Amino acid sequence: MASLTLDKVRKAFGPVEVLKEINLAIEDGEFLVLVGPSGCGKSTLLNLIAGLESSTDGEIRIGDRVINDVHPKDRNIAMVFQSYALYPNMTVRKNITFGLEIRGVSAQERDKAVADVAKLLQIEPLLDRKPSQLSGGQRQRVAMGRALVRDPDIFLFDEPLSNLDAKLRVDMRTEIKKLHQRLGSTIVYVTHDQIEAMTLASRIAVMKDGILQQFDTPQNIYERPNNMFVAGFIGSPSMNFINATLIDNNGKLAVSIERDGSPITLPLFEAPESYKAYVGKKVVFGIRPEGLTHKRTGSDEPGSQYVNFDSKVEVIEPTGADTMTVIEIAGKEIVARVRPDRAPTPGESMTFSADMSQISLFDPDTELRI
Amino acid sequence: MADLQTYSHDAGWKNTILRGLLYLVLILFAAYYLFPLIVMVSTSLKSLDEIREGSLISLPRVVTFDAWNYAWNEACVGVECTGIKVYFWNSVKMAIPAVLISTFLGAINGYALTKWRFKGANIVFALLLFGCFIPFQVVLLPMSQVLGKLGLASSTPGLVMVHVVYGLCFTTLFFRNYYVSIPDELVKAATIDGAGFFTIFWRIILPISTPIIVVSVIWQFTQIWNDFLFGASFASGENAPMTVALNNIVNTTTGVKQYNVDMAAALLTGLPTLLVYVLAGKYFVRGLTAGSVKG
Repeated sequence: MASLTLDKVRKAFGPVEVLKEINLAIEDGEFLVLVGPSGCGKSTLLNLIAGLESSTDGEIRIGDRVINDVHPKDRNIAMVFQSYALYPNMTVRKNITFGLEIRGVSAQERDKAVADVAKLLQIEPLLDRKPSQLSGGQRQRVAMGRALVRDPDIFLFDEPLSNLDAKLRVDMRTEIKKLHQRLGSTIVYVTHDQIEAMTLASRIAVMKDGILQQFDTPQNIYERPNNMFVAGFIGSPSMNFINATLIDNNGKLAVSIERDGSPITLPLFEAPESYKAYVGKKVVFGIRPEGLTHKRTGSDEPGSQYVNFDSKVEVIEPTGADTMTVIEIAGKEIVARVRPDRAPTPGESMTFSADMSQISLFDPDTELRI
Repeated sequence: MADLQTYSHDAGWKNTILRGLLYLVLILFAAYYLFPLIVMVSTSLKSLDEIREGSLISLPRVVTFDAWNYAWNEACVGVECTGIKVYFWNSVKMAIPAVLISTFLGAINGYALTKWRFKGANIVFALLLFGCFIPFQVVLLPMSQVLGKLGLASSTPGLVMVHVVYGLCFTTLFFRNYYVSIPDELVKAATIDGAGFFTIFWRIILPISTPIIVVSVIWQFTQIWNDFLFGASFASGENAPMTVALNNIVNTTTGVKQYNVDMAAALLTGLPTLLVYVLAGKYFVRGLTAGSVKG
């Protein structure tokens, strides 16, 4: 086990730059998730760490060792692939021990290692089967077994769950998390699924177009996204973005949202210093669906973090736990998360509470957080 | 409802007629192809007297394997009257190494071209493909010079080399197209497991290549066994392959024309390729279509 450092790592294929100066550092035992839409460079970054591709520039270190020019087999890493990449001609047992065999580990030790891993992953009855005789979930386990058996410094996962059906994906997600807690190993995990990223990571690196957008703990990324891309990408349903103006409302900052009829004025609960420069200017007001709810108790009291406003309801989408309520403000569809027993009927007008302690403001031009 | 019934009634008649026509055409084609074979087999089983008396298509009255025995053991090729068996073994000694070597090299080429893509891999592949379209006749003279310089002229090893070089284009094409459909992640996983170029090839890639190996072997064996031009040009006299010997037997101008021996010799020459198709034919079709549809 070891820490991992990426220092100004760049990767270009000819004139096309797919990774632009990536700086990342994780401690021993951390679970790093690289997340982003397809084509953002996250898989390339993983391949660079694995040594399957070489970086154009910059330094990659495992512990204190610079591994840029080290062959993949000598990096002491193990990788789980999206397609599992099990060797079709070998039994599960052979698949798991292949790496050990190549490294010249004795047959006795290999048997013991397989037994341990099989027990850990509960694949003992499968050991003498061929990969073609396994289900998707079982293949997934074998692929993890192949990585685990080597006891590497760092585990690399390349979208390991994306080929599984929804139910199994959730189960395996929990299992990977349990495994990480039990083994305390360092993991780098690539996914395009933000829920996987949030649930698994100790730290998330959000990427887009080869640029690292934000690198932080899941909660910080969720609550304080660096820019509108991160804000929109993390969280489901996505954060609502509303064009607004920051105004000085009798000595207190507020956002004012234009709409047919009367504008909505939402006084801010907190006003950091950085907001001052934007007074009187256009901003993008970002609020997550759970920040917009039915009218809360205590929202009428002075000093409350909740601000109430009325709006007509367009559509409702019950999910069971909550009812997603779509309202229209300033020509944009806004999603609010309402308790099912307080859910309105479409066409009705109702009072919503906006939780002003959980909002973000963005610069409409740079799309960066203010 | 009534309309529907009439409709299906009509279709039934139409179907029967069309099906009948289809079978008729197929039977005609089959007969067209089978007839020469039947004539050959029946002639080879007749005595020379019977051939002179009877008509071409009549079946043998007395079945005799004398002609086969004569062709195998005694027929004269040029001035040597050793039968065709010597040349049969010449062909075996030429075809087996040439098939194995060209298949093996094709497999390595295909593997390197798809899984270890180097700069210019596409150009190399394009050039190899180009080799498939070079007619035999074009290379006869330069090839004989090369063989002469290598000291391989008029020898079986020389012939093996010619066939390997010529077959390489085809076998590479086969294997390359097959390996394109094998996920790259397999090679990546093995690389991380610590396996190198040849370990991955031997332990992972080759064991899953059976269908395409069969295709390559059948193709190469048929090509090499049936080749006449290279055999006649680069291996003369006692080293000649069976096809050349067959020609020499059939085209002998002295003495009585022994049709039964000619037929038997021709059938003996064609038998090995036939056998390969019968044994591995179903893999051939399977291998040719493998990779064209993604599972």
